[in-house]
Amino acid sequence: MESNWAAEHLQVIRTLMERAALYRRALAPVMTANGLLGTLAALVGVLARIEAPRPFISYWMAVGLVAVAGSFLLARRQALKEAEPFWSPPTRRVAQALLPPLFFGFVLGLILLVRPGALAGSAGTVVCLLWLPLVWIALYGCALHAAGFFMPRGMKLFGWALVLGSSALGAAGLSDWVKPLLFGQGIMGLFFGLAHLAYGIYLYFTEQRRNET
Amino acid sequence: MNPEPFLQLDRVIHEKGRLAIMSMLAASPDLSFTELRDALGMTDGNLTTHIRTLQAAGYLSVTKSFQNRRPLTTCSLTPPGQQAFSNYINLLERIVRQSKPK
Repeated sequence: MESNWAAEHLQVIRTLMERAALYRRALAPVMTANGLLGTLAALVGVLARIEAPRPFISYWMAVGLVAVAGSFLLARRQALKEAEPFWSPPTRRVAQALLPPLFFGFVLGLILLVRPGALAGSAGTVVCLLWLPLVWIALYGCALHAAGFFMPRGMKLFGWALVLGSSALGAAGLSDWVKPLLFGQGIMGLFFGLAHLAYGIYLYFTEQRRNET
Repeated sequence: MNPEPFLQLDRVIHEKGRLAIMSMLAASPDLSFTELRDALGMTDGNLTTHIRTLQAAGYLSVTKSFQNRRPLTTCSLTPPGQQAFSNYINLLERIVRQSKPK
């Protein structure tokens, strides 16, 4: 009898500690907005024929910065709406987990941009339109997986999906019949656009259900 | 069963509301009054009373500041509070272990 009471107390303590440690802001708006941005950016990239290495990297780094700034503003708006501090301990933990892989992806893009000769010839095109997007996606997947330790469980699975997807595409390689432009912009649109959009829609329904219960 | 661990339980922490506050603060360096109130579903008055009790016991520190020109009250566990919470958990675990069939 007494042990039941003690075990129940321990369970309540565990639940409360998890609740305090987890990032609880609604992720659906952030994921959906980033999904729309990624999909539109890929479409614009194809239509504007952004396929030369340097413009491709500059373009997607700019899109990435817009996505980060937009996510920041959306999360801040939610915090202000709920009259809570934006830079809360769970937000800090999520940001710290996201930072190293995202920073490395950014630096990698910068290195390729500023090093003359790194993007020359067909090898440069392969690096830029095949390998760099795949590395970016894998790094982003690692970032989400790390942040997933302070978020609902689905985020870690989404991170894994990105890592596995980019690994599979890397293993398949660039086929002769695929145009580099379509491949580069296509995989960026697929992973940073459509995958986010799908996850955002899924979160929209699951977060709504969780709030109702 | 040995009643000793039960008798050693800290009465300040043992109350349901205060235990919830201590649990949340043990998992986070600090939390605002609003975060605690919303997460625990307490009224302002109830939470204030519990915070004062924990503060009087030396388990909790309260910092008042301003954010966006609005007052912000932040709570965090003090080192004695962390120690008391840790002792409380250990005692609960001892109670559970003691009554398990061997």
